Amino acid sequence: MSKLDQFESVFKAASKERFHYSPQELHSILVVTDLPEHEAKLYTDRIRDYLPLDGENITWATLTGEEFDDIGGLFEGIEKYRPDLICTYRNLKSQGWQWPYSLGEYLDVLTQATTTPVLVYPHPEKKEALEKLGQLKNVMAVTDHLAGDDRLVNFAISVTPKDGTLYLSHIEDKRTFDRYIEVIGKIPALDTDVAKTTITQQLLKEPRDYIQSCRDVLAQHESSPKIEEVVQMGTHLDEYKRLIEEHQINLLVLNTKDADQLAMHGLAYPLAVELKDIPMLML
Amino acid sequence: MSWFTWFASSPTSVPASLAASQPHAHHAVSLGVTLFFLVLLILMILSLALEEKLHAKKSVIVGVFAVVSLLLADIFGLLPLSQAGRFFVENPLHEKIEMPVYIPAIDWGVVAIILGSSVFVDVTSRSGLFSWIAIKLTKASNGDPKKLLTYYGVMTVLFSAVLNNVTAMIIVGSLTVVSLEKLERREKLLGFLLIEGLLTNIGGLLTLISSVPNIIVGNAAKISFAKFFIVACPYVAVATALTIWMGAKLFKIEGLTNEKEMAAANEKVQSFDENDGIESNGFFWFATTMTGLFVGTLATASFLPYIKDLGMGYVALGFALIMLIRYKSEADKFYQAVDWDLLAFFAGLFVVIHVMEHAQVLALIGKGLSVIVKLGPTLGSGLVLISASAFSSVTDNIPLAAMLAKILGNMNTPSSSGLWWSVIFGANLGGNLTPIGSASTLVAVTIIHKHGLKLSFGEFVVKALPFALLQIALATVYVLLFLR
Repeated sequence: MSKLDQFESVFKAASKERFHYSPQELHSILVVTDLPEHEAKLYTDRIRDYLPLDGENITWATLTGEEFDDIGGLFEGIEKYRPDLICTYRNLKSQGWQWPYSLGEYLDVLTQATTTPVLVYPHPEKKEALEKLGQLKNVMAVTDHLAGDDRLVNFAISVTPKDGTLYLSHIEDKRTFDRYIEVIGKIPALDTDVAKTTITQQLLKEPRDYIQSCRDVLAQHESSPKIEEVVQMGTHLDEYKRLIEEHQINLLVLNTKDADQLAMHGLAYPLAVELKDIPMLML
Repeated sequence: MSWFTWFASSPTSVPASLAASQPHAHHAVSLGVTLFFLVLLILMILSLALEEKLHAKKSVIVGVFAVVSLLLADIFGLLPLSQAGRFFVENPLHEKIEMPVYIPAIDWGVVAIILGSSVFVDVTSRSGLFSWIAIKLTKASNGDPKKLLTYYGVMTVLFSAVLNNVTAMIIVGSLTVVSLEKLERREKLLGFLLIEGLLTNIGGLLTLISSVPNIIVGNAAKISFAKFFIVACPYVAVATALTIWMGAKLFKIEGLTNEKEMAAANEKVQSFDENDGIESNGFFWFATTMTGLFVGTLATASFLPYIKDLGMGYVALGFALIMLIRYKSEADKFYQAVDWDLLAFFAGLFVVIHVMEHAQVLALIGKGLSVIVKLGPTLGSGLVLISASAFSSVTDNIPLAAMLAKILGNMNTPSSSGLWWSVIFGANLGGNLTPIGSASTLVAVTIIHKHGLKLSFGEFVVKALPFALLQIALATVYVLLFLR
């Protein structure tokens, strides 16, 4: 019945994920800080300069350090505003920002316990990083499973300036792939070279087809950002560091929720911990 | 055996023409020996019917019987060998060639058609042509289940006619699984696959090369490709329409009426990309052209100059080789994909039948058959069709077709006789009565089981019986009214 499997594979491959355009509307933005009121206002102004969402329809609000003392208090504050987007930074009400090993308890819980996307900025104490923010121009959607992730792409489109560039990235973890190929190499019934070539082709083809679908759909809408494709094998952290540098990315958009676990999505956590100088929109 | 005639005595003592016209004249076989070989034949047929239980491939089962029956035939002195135990064939130029006695027993013309068609279809499918057609039709249905059933049903019939029943079932069956899962209508999968399985045997009736029984009987009766198509087409059209209509009713496969559902279903099927399987546009169009030419050449093979001398096997092998040029450096991969089990089964079967002929077993069965035939063109043809259906429902239809073709040939049955068509219709349609009746229904059941759906032997019979009875009744009426 190898032919049966062969044709099922042909038809499964022909069944493609298509992008559905549904731009996210951001009407109210809440900036959560642990700063006193005056500094919180300055920080909010800096964020507003960076984010090209200003307009008559957007309401900005700020939650200062005096308005909450614990996570429960933070949620009460958020509930009061019911924002479409929360802007904050790592290690709220903690000195942890000085050590590059955690996000802090507030952000950990915030990203998992609310459905509202969280835009994470460099810590206010990281003056150099804040100064380098400039104005948002180039956005990169980050994932290892791009095909079919309409929500990620729609959010990324919503925050990308119309004259900016959106890089849709999909990086397959090379170490995991190599491990499987190594195992295949020990199975006489499987041709290692064929497996390596065909699996690589198919793994990378799916996100490429999906990106093409995004391009096709966006071509029907006026003033959409330019879409660039980054689909490759690699080591996530190293590759993203390189790509950020190479394409002058100044916002990463990534999923943080995983239906199978309470902890943050496997790809998001190490990036969020290590790439502290670049804003991240965590969905 | 149009070129060579074989003879039993010394290379010079018996005229080839005599040997050809009176192949059994020199045999004096006792009834005991004939009955002994009849038991062997029955054992082989029973073993084929129990193929699944025996966990043995057909080729091995028949191969064992071929080896044993050849040895026994030699021991009983039934084989047409010279006193020195040699065997010769002679061509019309009176050139004599020595070869093993079992070689000319095999109908190499049929082997060539099966081998050539199989390679041709395999290479052509690499062009993405069949998946392109299948996906185009899926998209044309807009995801409406009833339209999908109709399109898939017609596609099953046409693919069965041009390719072979098993390949057609594999293509349409696998697409059905993928598209119904995409449409979130998995509950309809059993009905779809069952109807498609039944339709493969209807499609298998459409042309001379659509199924092995057609090739065997058509060759024996000297029915041309075009004549076969003209005769079979009306029946296939009506039987297909009735089967799809009945299937939609019995399995409650209805069209969509809600506009929202229609839009959602359409959106889902439109996400299929028919061009995904096409590696090269040039090869795609080449394969499309060659498929048209292949069918066209087969259809006209009986009157095309030179081609009519070389036969359909030559056409099939020729087209297969032309297609292989595209993959000349990896042609061996396509040879590996050939259904060697079928070809070896087929070769072994003809050796067994050859022995049975010399043991006068076929003559004995022929006597029984002549009793039925003598009942008249109406009752006789009808009974042959029904008994052929019953027989093919429990065992492979190829031995039946091969045996009956040989017997009808020996009875000098004219090409125009409806008896040939009774055998063709019976051998093909009997496969719809049980899941083991034909290879393509077995594939349908395999797909059903592979996707976690339960369908026992009995449940298959219960569900398929109304369809099979309708198809057999329709065929009987057709043969009796138009073909006797």
